[in-house]
Amino acid sequence: MALFRTVPVNAVKVCRQLPPLSSASSRPAVLSTRTIYERDYRRPGQEPDKRWPWQKIRFDFSKGVEGVRKHFGLLKDEFFQRWEGPEGRPLIEHMLEQTRVLWEFRGPESLGQWVISTDQEIGGRSEAYLKLGRNNTTCLLYGTLSSVPPRDGETRYSGYCTMRSKQPLGAFDRKKHHDWSSFNTLHLRVRGDGRPWMINIAAETYFSHQRDDIYSYFLYTRGGPYWQDVRIPFSKFFLSSRGRIQDDQHVLWLDKINTIGFTLGDKADGPFQLEIDFIGVCNNLAHTEEFAYEAYKRNPEV
Amino acid sequence: MNPYVLAILIASLGMGTTITFASSHWLLAWMGLEINTLAIIPLMSKQHHPRAVEATTKYFLTQATAAAMILFASTTNAWVTGTWNIAQLSDPTAVALISIALALKMGLAPAHFWLPEVLQGLDLTTGLILSTWQKLAPFALIIQISPNMHPAILTALGLCSTLVGGWGGLNQTQLRKILAYSSIAHLGWMIIVLQFAPQLTLLTLATYIVMTSAAFLTLKASSSTKINTLATAWTKAPSLAALATLSLLSLGGLPPLTGFMPKWLILQELTKQSLPLTATIMALSALLSLYFYLRLCYAMALTIAPNVNNSSAPWQLLSTQSTLPLALTTVAALALLPATPAVLAMLT
Repeated sequence: MALFRTVPVNAVKVCRQLPPLSSASSRPAVLSTRTIYERDYRRPGQEPDKRWPWQKIRFDFSKGVEGVRKHFGLLKDEFFQRWEGPEGRPLIEHMLEQTRVLWEFRGPESLGQWVISTDQEIGGRSEAYLKLGRNNTTCLLYGTLSSVPPRDGETRYSGYCTMRSKQPLGAFDRKKHHDWSSFNTLHLRVRGDGRPWMINIAAETYFSHQRDDIYSYFLYTRGGPYWQDVRIPFSKFFLSSRGRIQDDQHVLWLDKINTIGFTLGDKADGPFQLEIDFIGVCNNLAHTEEFAYEAYKRNPEV
Repeated sequence: MNPYVLAILIASLGMGTTITFASSHWLLAWMGLEINTLAIIPLMSKQHHPRAVEATTKYFLTQATAAAMILFASTTNAWVTGTWNIAQLSDPTAVALISIALALKMGLAPAHFWLPEVLQGLDLTTGLILSTWQKLAPFALIIQISPNMHPAILTALGLCSTLVGGWGGLNQTQLRKILAYSSIAHLGWMIIVLQFAPQLTLLTLATYIVMTSAAFLTLKASSSTKINTLATAWTKAPSLAALATLSLLSLGGLPPLTGFMPKWLILQELTKQSLPLTATIMALSALLSLYFYLRLCYAMALTIAPNVNNSSAPWQLLSTQSTLPLALTTVAALALLPATPAVLAMLT
């Protein structure tokens, strides 16, 4: 007696789109992939993606060869870089370094280091696009914000768009981190349209509860044709988790930074634009503050 | 921290090690190790930063695993041989398992992966306690069971640790991670000679504790946790910068400083035991460690930046912390080599 309906193999599309909403009848009912995929983002109102792992991979020989060449090349570089010094440069450079330009948009390959996301992930209507600005010297993030919530019965608020850098990866896709411990200030050169943006820095965490821990600060843009140099000390960044500012505030430790991102969510529908010339870090010797927020004891003993 | 709580925790730390030292039953020794682990946990997570809590969790998991393995091995031995006596651990499975467990407890390669991350998440004082005091109890056990331990495991652990400690510390810029890899390398030296002369292991442990204390207390006095901050230590205390250079060279094992004593005696013992290849590999891996100690000396004392570089040059203010432990450990780390004959007489 068949306990469940089997899914014919060619009926499962191996693609990156979300599965259709009404396909409950063709799912195996005995074993569940829910425990494996619980961690991934589930679009509200959508059934979770219940395909098995082997149904999601594309097996291809040339992809394998290319992967082997790329990763072994990276491994060889990592190995020989150690002879030079920390991060592949001589120690004297590390000691004398006071500024570093991290992201500079000078060609199409620089856009590949960034990931754009909007509330279309949850069914909203905002749009965002990233392209190189004039003369291929800047990047332009532009689009339209729409705070109409998606009609899925769960979501109440909507209207955001964000641009986030990809986490640096070493050989075999091991996570690497940015080490900004020699610096204490973030320096950006931007040209906005007067809207308030949030800068989000994600540091490396350990527990799954801290998965969405992000250190944020505001970026108020001016609008207008003039460029704006923004310098934000890292001591000003406050800790929030999933968008909620935490009571227990801590300073951002700079030795393991994963990503930096810019988010717009100011509830003002309409078009937006943000042009970024470069993103860098520098060491402001006049700034001696360690942390801008005093952490008071919430329940002091009387 | 509440002074009563701090007093209880420090007393528990002392008590745990003392219990392990004084025990001849495996259960009591295991209890001492667990008391040590649990007592240091609140000290490690005192600052409540997520990274400190991460370091505490990693430390707790590794130490608890090691303690569970010790318990399992001693129970196996009791089941097979009928005795719980520490020095009579004779069942081969139990001995092998205990070796791995104690290697995990101390941070010997290849069970060393937790040590740099854990030390990085702690402040310097707690890091000092972790690197020095927490090594005493496992060493007490390992010295007692050393006659029964398999020589191949000990040699492999020793060689692996010195090589990993030297290679891993090469491109670190965070001082606590450098000291973690230095700890791994020194533990390798201690373990390799265990099968031939356990008294040399004790000597290496004692000199390592003195030298590491000097290093940690120096870093605490100059409040530096990165190489860049160390580069402006000369403005805070110029004499300390000069002496700390010598302390680091002592850690590297250069004569005529104290750190040369254990390395010399160990190499001599290995040569006497007809292991020239092992001795050569150990000496060469000591060069790797020496490279990163020299790099710290270079950053601290041999360079003055053209401008005030990556830290603000602080004023030479009077420090509020006591300098007596720093003074004692620095003198001991620099000047004890001439006492080698007396030490040898005491040990043999």
